Amino acid sequence: MTTQLDEQTERADAPEPAAPARAPRITPVEWLRTPRPPLPLSKPVSLTLGAAGVVALAIVPFVNPSWVNLHVALVLIFAIVAMGLNLLVGMGGQVSLGHAAFFAVGAYTTAVVGAAGVPAVATLPLAGAVAFAIGWLFGIPALRLQGLQLGLVTLALALVTPPAIRQLDEITRGSRGIGIDGDAPAWIPLDQDQWVTLLALAAFVLAWIATARFARGRLGRSFVAIRDAELVAETLGVAVQRTKVRLFATSAAYAGVGGGLYAMLLEFIGPENFGLTLSISFITMIVVGGIATVPGAVLGAAFVQAVPAIAGEIDPAAAGFTYGVVLLLFVFFVPFGLIGVIRGALRPLVDRVPWLRPRRLR
Amino acid sequence: MDLLLQQLVDGVAAGAIYGALALALVLVYRASHTINFAQGEMALLGAYLSWQFFAFGLPLLAALAVSVLACAVLGMGIERVLIRPLAKRNQHLPMIITTLGLMIALNAVIAWVWGHQTREVPPVLGQGAVEVAGAALSRQDLVIIATVLGGAIALAAFFRFTRTGLFMRATVGDPESARLSGVRTGRMLSVGWGLAGGIGAIAGTLIAPELFLQPGMMAPVLIYAFAAATLGGLDSPLGAIVGGIIVGLAENIAGTYVPWIGSEFKQGLALAIILVVLLLRPAGLFGSRKVVRV
Repeated sequence: MTTQLDEQTERADAPEPAAPARAPRITPVEWLRTPRPPLPLSKPVSLTLGAAGVVALAIVPFVNPSWVNLHVALVLIFAIVAMGLNLLVGMGGQVSLGHAAFFAVGAYTTAVVGAAGVPAVATLPLAGAVAFAIGWLFGIPALRLQGLQLGLVTLALALVTPPAIRQLDEITRGSRGIGIDGDAPAWIPLDQDQWVTLLALAAFVLAWIATARFARGRLGRSFVAIRDAELVAETLGVAVQRTKVRLFATSAAYAGVGGGLYAMLLEFIGPENFGLTLSISFITMIVVGGIATVPGAVLGAAFVQAVPAIAGEIDPAAAGFTYGVVLLLFVFFVPFGLIGVIRGALRPLVDRVPWLRPRRLR
Repeated sequence: MDLLLQQLVDGVAAGAIYGALALALVLVYRASHTINFAQGEMALLGAYLSWQFFAFGLPLLAALAVSVLACAVLGMGIERVLIRPLAKRNQHLPMIITTLGLMIALNAVIAWVWGHQTREVPPVLGQGAVEVAGAALSRQDLVIIATVLGGAIALAAFFRFTRTGLFMRATVGDPESARLSGVRTGRMLSVGWGLAGGIGAIAGTLIAPELFLQPGMMAPVLIYAFAAATLGGLDSPLGAIVGGIIVGLAENIAGTYVPWIGSEFKQGLALAIILVVLLLRPAGLFGSRKVVRV
């Protein structure tokens, strides 16, 4: 039967030879919606890429005017927060719309402790620790809630943050704002913007390593287990409630360190720095970058930093509009974020160049 | 005593608005099991539309009617285009992000079109106050309380006595059986969102003369509405109104008598109410308990 058919086609001398087997054609939208695993890069290749990136970023503050450094530092700071938020949302499956609160806690810790005479650098671990503690306290009641309710509570937290800062006038100096000395110690010959950019880079690299280790370690696996099947996780001996609270607090600590750096960078903060817009820009970062991926946090942070700068030139309201529309577009058309797009685009290259891949996949 | 009475009266008036907005949240929650974070901005849009048509020369009530209609259509459109495709996926995060995105986008559009200067929406029955047992109740407050109570009763009657109301209850209670019995469940969900949009527009327009109509007007109101909806139980329309009035009373009394809270930090009270309710009685006062079978 088959042979007959083959003969028939040959006799009809079909103009086209049989095409080689190809993946079925998909529309661009389907392509964007395809989930993609990380690129299979070998360890030396990914380490080289990472090191090159770090070196490039470390050179940046020395060759650029300070306003460029300001943007670079903000991207790094936001990326730290986004990594923390991604731990919570991406790996833990918990929503927080109120991370600006922990960002503010970190910023004010640096400001207040710094004002007492402690050098600002030394306040950064403290900023993280205080945010961790407050995240823990807030997390104990809040994490008994799920999905939607947690979103509601944390959004309320975001809305309450600026009034709370104004209310705690004696500590935070309320609407008058508070100044921070972000200068490098006297024995380091760096300008303030170079110093803070390098500090942010150091914190960023540490955060990246910590996040990657978290993700692969025992704690990370318990997070994923809770996200995917809470009951199963519990029967396997994961202390669900405690792990969730720990995750929330850890995520808050990232935001706290980011906030401390932010205070050092701007050298002046007030309640209006920590409004709802900030919380939403954090969420935007992870949605745009790609939920549950570490490099996605950087892309998202860069995006969030670039949009107001570009759209704001048209109209101040355009920035907000762009945020909103971008969120909608990404939810519907690019659910795996920019990192998904990049993975999709680079995959053919990695497939074609064997030495990029680890030995077992060549 | 007079001060307390005054606070009670003010609290009920404010609470009626929170209740109305909470009612809109509840209708959306019943339809799509999500919280419409954009509800406040939809109400804000309603207020601006009312103002705009009034400025064009329509009588206030006609302007309000146009605005209510427009917001209802907007609500139905949002449900049909954005929410329904996501509802099938049954995940919280995309829905939360979608309504959050809507919230920011709507707010930005409003700020873009109407700018940041405050607009004046006239009160429905003019200025002036009515004396009620020693407390002064502004005419607008009276209108608010009457409208919200009247609207709530009308809505209850709609759910109880009309065919559409019955279909909507059926859709919420048991979507599958409702669909099998021939109810156009999708359309019922849209109607729920449309009702929410319209109610939001009324609430926004009525509160606008008391606050100042500018793009940031609804954010504080929204957080009280969240508290009200949570307190009443997210799926209970009656609970929304009762919750709103309790929240309004608590807000006014705490703001006056607890010095530390003052007028600035009253929103913190809303967060506290939400947290306490969700912890002690997650279903709220009137909400239905959810039982999860494993």
